[in-house]
Amino acid sequence: MLPSNLVARRLVPFALPSLPSAPLPSPREAHLWCVKPDELKDASLLQEYMKILSPCEKENVLSVKGEVLQKCALLSRVLVRTTLARCLWIEGLSSGCLFHARLDTDYRINPRSFKFKKNRFGKPEVEWQHNDVSFLPSLQFNVSHTSSLIACGITVNDPIGIDVEEKQRRPNADVLSLASRYFSPPEVQYLKSLVDSDSQKIEFIKLWTLKEAYVKALGRGFSGAPFRKFTIRFETRGDLVSEKLKTGEFRIAVEPVSDHETLTANWQFALAEITGSHFAAICMGIDENDTGKEHDLLKLKVWKTLPYMEDECLSDSEAVIKISGLS
Amino acid sequence: MASVAGTAFAVSVRPPRRLQQVSNHLSGLKSVSFTSQRKSFVSIRSAPRFRISCAAKPETLEKVCSIVKKQLALAENALVTGESTFVQLGADSLDTVEVVMGLEEEFGISVEEENAQTIQTVQDAADMIEILLEKKNAA
Repeated sequence: MLPSNLVARRLVPFALPSLPSAPLPSPREAHLWCVKPDELKDASLLQEYMKILSPCEKENVLSVKGEVLQKCALLSRVLVRTTLARCLWIEGLSSGCLFHARLDTDYRINPRSFKFKKNRFGKPEVEWQHNDVSFLPSLQFNVSHTSSLIACGITVNDPIGIDVEEKQRRPNADVLSLASRYFSPPEVQYLKSLVDSDSQKIEFIKLWTLKEAYVKALGRGFSGAPFRKFTIRFETRGDLVSEKLKTGEFRIAVEPVSDHETLTANWQFALAEITGSHFAAICMGIDENDTGKEHDLLKLKVWKTLPYMEDECLSDSEAVIKISGLS
Repeated sequence: MASVAGTAFAVSVRPPRRLQQVSNHLSGLKSVSFTSQRKSFVSIRSAPRFRISCAAKPETLEKVCSIVKKQLALAENALVTGESTFVQLGADSLDTVEVVMGLEEEFGISVEEENAQTIQTVQDAADMIEILLEKKNAA
């Protein structure tokens, strides 16, 4: 399984260093952890990453065709497991509990120890172990990937869906045809109102990622939320905005087209540009008990990582540009 | 070289005249049959899935593979078969939707959004097209 473009190390035992911890997301805050597959060049590291996976995950990774795609599939699982493990280390320690089987000798949660399941619509979730339930926060996560970036979003308690896409992505088909076929009428109107065809393509991609993020947050599968049945709106003070978005002050909201049982509107959205190369759309559930205005804009923190090797906080730097919906 | 104990016959296979690979009528199954002069054959099946459905003609499957390769910018000789899943080929949901639109244009059919989203393998797409074509021709 050794991809040809990786450098093989000398036969010296390679042991992973400790995984640095990370803060838990605050209430109504989402954390986004990103990996760039191109940064994984070391064959020994790749082998160590494989050891983090469950047997079933390993099998799935190996069934993917092609080195690049296989690397992405591997990093996807590694990212989920390590992201969850980082936050729980602090929480576990501060609550004074010991989960012997789950911990490494220095009381860190072992990323290998997570089990996952799918909800009845197929959305992946953590399968908390019997003893965890009383002690551990209910972490919610969602993963998205392109061949050049993999992202994992996490929250505490709030359902989350994310989607990432290359900024440069241009659909092969005509975007107005695609939109007429798959988007809601107001969204088609919005795209038609844009004069420049390249702007149309860029806005199409942004809308696509936001719609994907919503569907994934709902966790009911695509048949539970057909794209045509809901509209993503960019709003300022309740008005529909038709001009190109410039600042992060606009609120993004979802409006189901018709009275649809499964399509709900209590969701927050955010759109950001990451490392100048990707759009990231985040959709987070709003707690119905929360009526304060402060949750109009989503709080987001972003990190770039090569798990165990390097972490870099990107928030508040040029690497994260808020497009919409972010405080 | 199967032999059935207790009976008087044995299946022997001479060097086959022709080795046929039949992409058969049941989606997801591949069978290889060896024919010998005695017209007895051993067939070997692989693949876990079994569906009784209107199966796509080989030409349909071939066209679908070609459209998929084009959308995903795969090499002409890239291995895409009926069993390939879109996920394994590296297609995301936007790719799948574009492939479906490309298929609609190529075959002059219309795929319901809900059905488009249940397509997981190339064979699923080809079979769906075959059904829609039959409906269209019957109408």
